Amino acid sequence: MTNGNNGSDPYFVDTDKRIRDIQKLMQERDIDVYLGSRIRTMSFIVDAFVPWRSYIVIPAEGLPTLFTFVIDAARILSETWMDEDHVRAYFGAGGADQIESIQYFIDEELGIRKGRLGYETGMATYTAEGWMTHYEYEQFSAALPDLEFINAHDIVDLASLIKDEGTINRFRKASRIVDEGHEAARAAVENAGWKGMTETELAGIAALAMRKAGSVSEWNFAGLNEISSGWRTGLGACTPPTTKEFQAGEPLMFDLHAMFKLALGDHSHNYLLAPSTERQRWHADNFVACVDFVARSYRAGATPGGLITDLGNFAEDRGCSDFILPGVEHGIGLFGDEWRVGAGMDVPIPYWTDPDHVYRENEMVILAMQYAAPEDDIGFRYENPIVIEKGGCELTSKYPLAIEEIS
Amino acid sequence: MANLKYLSPEWSEEARIRVKAELTPEKMHNLSSSMTNIYQNCPDGRTMYMFVEFTGGELTGFETGDGEPPRAEFKIIAEYETFAKITRAELGAVKALTSRKLTLRGNMAKALRLAPQVDKLNKVLATIPTDF
Repeated sequence: MTNGNNGSDPYFVDTDKRIRDIQKLMQERDIDVYLGSRIRTMSFIVDAFVPWRSYIVIPAEGLPTLFTFVIDAARILSETWMDEDHVRAYFGAGGADQIESIQYFIDEELGIRKGRLGYETGMATYTAEGWMTHYEYEQFSAALPDLEFINAHDIVDLASLIKDEGTINRFRKASRIVDEGHEAARAAVENAGWKGMTETELAGIAALAMRKAGSVSEWNFAGLNEISSGWRTGLGACTPPTTKEFQAGEPLMFDLHAMFKLALGDHSHNYLLAPSTERQRWHADNFVACVDFVARSYRAGATPGGLITDLGNFAEDRGCSDFILPGVEHGIGLFGDEWRVGAGMDVPIPYWTDPDHVYRENEMVILAMQYAAPEDDIGFRYENPIVIEKGGCELTSKYPLAIEEIS
Repeated sequence: MANLKYLSPEWSEEARIRVKAELTPEKMHNLSSSMTNIYQNCPDGRTMYMFVEFTGGELTGFETGDGEPPRAEFKIIAEYETFAKITRAELGAVKALTSRKLTLRGNMAKALRLAPQVDKLNKVLATIPTDF
């Protein structure tokens, strides 16, 4: 089976190179076998959507082998570049459960009985990260007693940090799709279309438009498309839609999500429903100016700490620093990689973004900003996947930065 | 026909003849795979095996014995009595597997797809008059 990933395709990703890069890092650390369990690791190597608890065993040389829940093995096999011998299933049966099947594979098929095993543990804000659980660790280490378990998730994080052209093109396409969602959302609410409409209904309209444009998912972690209106726009950076109806004079925030070949579209756009007040317009103009300032500040060599400091000064000058939530970005990669920036383990606060991380060309982050003035029942959000360039950045969503008043 | 002793050379030869005659390549969907059953705690205390191999749907290997079995794509390990119960239809293979009475070694995803073919094999073996 093939997933149609070939060199002439603009969305081609070189999975062989990815594996070689990982194995090179494994060899540098004397790791004989890597046992990945995070969703982001599956996305990066399998190049297919792997939603169920899965494990990938990567020897220091040779091809990786996936172990997934039996109900999904055939479907993954139909979508990945990996062949039948390397897409395996686990099941609650003698010798076939997660622990025994992988232990036997490493022991008997790979013949690795002694040495060092890299695995993935840590913490995240992202519930579905997929770290090896304590129980799994106990069981695997008991089943493979002569292997030394080494936390080595940064091997995959390092290998996936700089995005290749095919991956960037996938993000560009995902963002184009999100832009179509925004077009549909705007068309639905303008000319009084918003009357009687709920946040959930708008989320569905945008989802349909994006699905028609090629998205396969609104990625469910944060509640699919995140829509907020009125006082809910000032609540912070997570607003799964509710059945609240839009009302005249309210701000609207549409944060739309798409997925294309595991690349995540994530763009937020804001409106004011007429009639807007002077105070609302002031907040809106502040936010647009702050986003524009940050977008113009990204470039290779910039750091998260530097960007947030510069933004703080900029917002202070405008008198709106009280409303800017701390942060201008979050990390992004293929499905499952949606939290911290960078890859290193040696950071001031483990598993959080290193403020001194130095951006390099072709890294990607979500330019993410949140403005909240709950006392005025207003807030805004901006998200846009960006590609770091030598002298700037590419905003992959092309939806114009503005906060328009619509009626 | 007199009963044959389970896993004996005579039983093995009869099994080979019946399987070859009844399981055509078409019936086996041109399957290429192999399986070894490991019988632990046989009545005489030994560990025995049954090896079956199909190539392009044709039976190309069938043997029983003790000692080191031929290498196979799948290995199924269980007590002799468990296999005997399955052969006598007193115990379902799936139940045996999910209650850890059987241990499967090999690609589970592929094994599940091949399960109907294994059922066909077991049905043929069950027709042999056998003393367990």
